[in-house]
Amino acid sequence: MVETPKVAVLFGFGINCDRETAAVFELAGATSERVHVNHFVNGDRDLSEFHILAVPGGFSFGDHLGSGRLLGNRMRFAMREQLSAFVAAGKPIIGICNGFQVLVKTGLLPGKEVPDFEQRASLTLNNSGRYEDRWVTLEFDPESPCIWTKGITRIECPVRHGEGRFVMPSTVDLDSLDSNNQIVTRYVDPSTEPGNGITDETLPFPICPNGSIRNIAGICDPTGLVFGLMPHPEAAYATFLHPHHTRNEVSEEILAEGMQIFRNAVEYAQANL
Amino acid sequence: MRDVRGDSVKRQLAADHSINIDSVRSIVGFLIDSEITSEEVSTRVDDVFADPIIEESATDSLHLDNPTLFSESPDITITIGFKAGVTDNPGKAALDGFRTIFPEAGEDARVSTYITYVFQGVPEEVDADWLSKQLHNGLIERALYSTKGDKSPEIEYIPVAAIDYTPPATIDLEISDEDLIKLSEEGLLALNLEEMQTIQAHYRDSEVRSSRAAVGLPENAPTDVELECLAQTWSEHCKHKIFAAHIHHVDTETGEDTEIDSLFKTHIMNPTLEMKDEVDWLLSVFHDNSGVIAWDDEWSICMKAETHNSPSALDPYGGAMTGIVGVNRDILGTGLGARPIANTDVFCFGPPDWEGDLPDNLFHPSRVLRGVHAGVRVGGNESGIPTVNGAIVFDDRYIGKPLVYCGTIGMMPRRLADGRESHEKNPQPGDRVYMVGGRVGYDGIHGATFSSLELTEESPSSAVQIGDPITQKKMVDMILEARDAGLITCITDNGAGGLSSSIGEMAEYTNGCKIDLGKVPLKQSGLSSWEILVSESQERMTVAVRESDVPAFEKLADLHEVEATWVADFTNTGQFHVVHDDDTVASLPIEFLHDGVPQLRLESEWVKPVNTLFTPPSVSSHTPLLMRMLSRPNIASKETWVRQYDHEVIAQTALKPFVGVERDGPGDAGLLAPIHGSTKGLVVSNGISPRYSDIDAGAMAAAAVDEAVRNAVCTGVDLSKVAGLDNFCWPDPIESKKTPDGRFKLAQLVRANRELERICRAYFVPCISGKDSMKNDYGSGENKISIPPTLLFSLFGDHPDVRYTTTSDLKPGESLYLVGESKQELGASEISFMLKESGEADGIGGEVPQLPNPEKNLGAYKALTKAIQSGIVRTAHDCSEGGVAVAIAEMCIGGRCGAAIDVDGPGDADLWGRLWGESLGRIMVGVKQNNRAEFLSMMKGHSLTYMGETIDSDSLSIWDGDDLVIEAPVEQMVSAWKGSLDMTGGEQ
Repeated sequence: MVETPKVAVLFGFGINCDRETAAVFELAGATSERVHVNHFVNGDRDLSEFHILAVPGGFSFGDHLGSGRLLGNRMRFAMREQLSAFVAAGKPIIGICNGFQVLVKTGLLPGKEVPDFEQRASLTLNNSGRYEDRWVTLEFDPESPCIWTKGITRIECPVRHGEGRFVMPSTVDLDSLDSNNQIVTRYVDPSTEPGNGITDETLPFPICPNGSIRNIAGICDPTGLVFGLMPHPEAAYATFLHPHHTRNEVSEEILAEGMQIFRNAVEYAQANL
Repeated sequence: MRDVRGDSVKRQLAADHSINIDSVRSIVGFLIDSEITSEEVSTRVDDVFADPIIEESATDSLHLDNPTLFSESPDITITIGFKAGVTDNPGKAALDGFRTIFPEAGEDARVSTYITYVFQGVPEEVDADWLSKQLHNGLIERALYSTKGDKSPEIEYIPVAAIDYTPPATIDLEISDEDLIKLSEEGLLALNLEEMQTIQAHYRDSEVRSSRAAVGLPENAPTDVELECLAQTWSEHCKHKIFAAHIHHVDTETGEDTEIDSLFKTHIMNPTLEMKDEVDWLLSVFHDNSGVIAWDDEWSICMKAETHNSPSALDPYGGAMTGIVGVNRDILGTGLGARPIANTDVFCFGPPDWEGDLPDNLFHPSRVLRGVHAGVRVGGNESGIPTVNGAIVFDDRYIGKPLVYCGTIGMMPRRLADGRESHEKNPQPGDRVYMVGGRVGYDGIHGATFSSLELTEESPSSAVQIGDPITQKKMVDMILEARDAGLITCITDNGAGGLSSSIGEMAEYTNGCKIDLGKVPLKQSGLSSWEILVSESQERMTVAVRESDVPAFEKLADLHEVEATWVADFTNTGQFHVVHDDDTVASLPIEFLHDGVPQLRLESEWVKPVNTLFTPPSVSSHTPLLMRMLSRPNIASKETWVRQYDHEVIAQTALKPFVGVERDGPGDAGLLAPIHGSTKGLVVSNGISPRYSDIDAGAMAAAAVDEAVRNAVCTGVDLSKVAGLDNFCWPDPIESKKTPDGRFKLAQLVRANRELERICRAYFVPCISGKDSMKNDYGSGENKISIPPTLLFSLFGDHPDVRYTTTSDLKPGESLYLVGESKQELGASEISFMLKESGEADGIGGEVPQLPNPEKNLGAYKALTKAIQSGIVRTAHDCSEGGVAVAIAEMCIGGRCGAAIDVDGPGDADLWGRLWGESLGRIMVGVKQNNRAEFLSMMKGHSLTYMGETIDSDSLSIWDGDDLVIEAPVEQMVSAWKGSLDMTGGEQ
């Protein structure tokens, strides 16, 4: 049993949400360290030192050649064994925004029980053709095995991407993802009742900000340990970051709903590692 | 699979040119020059170059020849690639990815990228050559095209042509004055006769001659390296010679006849230094890359704003991108290295819907807008720095020269682990000087001197560069780690003037340096000594390291895959000494280099400009005017543009650029909570009002400062700790044959500086850093276009708790108040320009907004910020362009809420003045009914007028006593405000 889980937050090569990602894990009760990707690639550090791995948002390698592809390649070719061992040890991994794109391009998502590092899905240009920063409403599959999202019905947080449209080669692939409850979170219409927002019908812009198939915002692997999503829950860590905070009463508690995802992983690590 | 890239081109052609094309498809291509065979490459294409889930790949063949992908021969095919030597960021990334797969690829492997657009169903009148020009910039890109039935274009890899190394030359200065001028002009040195003569005199000095002989340099004449180095260091860009000039100023209105010894010292530096004596939080002003103030006991903050006007005129995308990543480096080069935490962007463009003539070589304003926006978007977003505040201003005169102001805020720990204060540099003789980041190339020669000249058709393309945010991001990561490990003794940016400026400036600390140009890593071989020294190639910092820290520093560079090369040493010889391998190529006394430039003597004469008076037409209702005003580009929503900036990375942005129920109402200022878990805040705001210069540039400056302060007040800023940045963009104010009205333009500068000082002193806003760009003209003679004199005033300051702040959107159940007074000030107002342009009024003349009694405004501002900090005010909005009418309309838009107000009240302004006048010092405030009594008691003694209430209806009613003068449904206001600058081409 680990009391204070250690989180490795990757940085370098254009990752740029590493500081806030490290900060929210600390606020959730973990200790976190920003570790340059090359420490793992060169082998002078090892993933086994850590209990949780976070691949934050950013523009790794400028997203040239497709978002997340080049960092995904470095991880796929140079960190393969460490990543396999990490997953085999039952340790949670999260990829946010560019980190999600990286995990999809490495093949860890949607992935297999035992990672084979084959790419099965992709995240591509938004239908609008534009990068945009705007807040969205997310709803979560209550039946999902994802350890990161237990007990969460709905949250609001920002998307900040130009390549967030989730695609898979066929509807069969999507159906199997769906039946495994790996479609963890989707964009929903905020005017629907919480718990009743999820739909397969692609919702209009800007409710679904990128034209993602079945409004998919995030998925997990079959074990529920590896989770990736395009929106940024870490950017909704505090009440005063919500766009409507001046329309509400000032609250004494500053931590907000985005924190739950990170708390879930910390609690999971405390209970299981 | 949908081709979004192609669809975007289709939509843009529809939006900008009303051309409807059936389909546009895109093909991304890579040209690889390496020892790996194409058979080997073809087996791994889907690992690097294509995404197997969404793309088709092909090696050594054109997709266009594949009938399953392209069954019909396209109407037009256009292929665009970079010209040789132009920064190709995707190519660089592709090479990195290529090497991951093929580590054996070798040192000489190269990848360049191109894109092919395939058009089907093109209207007959669309010409392929014209179309290709809309899609590429001939200065930096090449395009090939074919039309139906032709062979598809095949683009080839073009290696960078080898340049022959030219050894340093000796320049004979014992020539006539006429020839000295000719030498300066033809060599793009941008030095005047007196400056050339000062250099000439230096080489006649017998002591100089004997010291030169000792190092093996020509005794009585400069080398080209020395002359270029002096030209860079003495350029207007680096030395701010106009702000430092001795000015004889005459005012024909008042009869004043005075001498001014430096506008900068008199009106900016001295007031700030006097304020510095009164407070303990001004840590570093003027001498560093940005000014630094204390934020709390642990952290300090700094801010800098730059302009990148000329490069953005030539290549809007590349110019603006280098502008934003360049000012980020100013922050990184402050003290021992600050971390950029927020960007601000303010642009001035010609009207996006301009239908008049365009002078040669100028882009249409809509293209400048798109390009600059894209450059700043990519530069900011990829660097992971949020864009938190900004503005876009439109005026016909910015067609000749757009203004691109990029600002950055930085943060650093007050003290490093080793106890050193991080805002102070402390290099010692013997420290090693590293060049870190990018390499030196031919792409950055003569930027500083070029920006000190006016733009002509012959302006060189080497003045334009494309930034590389990822190379810079790696460098930032590495340098911040080096700083925290205590490895840096001195750091500065390589911007204008390149190594000659960066090492030259740092060498003032130790009084000397020795640079070896032979060690400098180059993008291409063959650069001559002077080119290496002055090249402004991007993404480079100059860093000094103690010899004992060298191994740790180099190890860190390796980890981050950042190139760091030892290129110089600090000395205390008093000389700026440059060698190229074994030969000395320059040796200049540090003192002469930095302080040798002679002071300019300039003439200034103020003659009050004559403007036809603005006489409002008679109208039966002001409602249609409100709808027109809301869609004016200067007022309309810029949301589709601003949403494309990441404004929330770092998870600290407590006030977004767009606010309210639908998150589409205007924000006034940026508010950050930069320490995660803490509510302590930092405010950033901007003020700009260039059109007031048409009547009085002094009023223009006062308005800019007041607007920045008002915007900050709306957030609840702590007014006891705010600092400002003055950023002047002016037309050439030196009288000459090509600038016959130079005296007047200089008098405008004098008046602007005087008002800047007066208002900053009154508000206690020290200017801690600034910038000037003084040659914002295009063309000559009758066709000359000069920008309106423009001051951007940026402000940053403390906020006690970001939870206690306001937004502009009305909340239900609020009473509405106006802080400040409406006066009869319609001169140069937005409504006057609108009605003059439409022919409904004859002129824009009249009383321009003034600040006769700023102390009174400050009193009201302080009371209001206290009320906001106490939590009883949650709604406030600055009154600026379009006055009270536009301000309340915007508040209704943000709140999706109706309101009824009465503009009748104290003061002697008429209805037009009360509705549309732009009097300074005014803020509209909404207060919940149960907080009214407390609010009124807190505002007691200050100018405050009750205006009305929010109402439970969906329209805005504005009354003038018993007359209903505006009745506007909120939804109509929303469409008017959001429609005009949405240039996305509609459908998603």
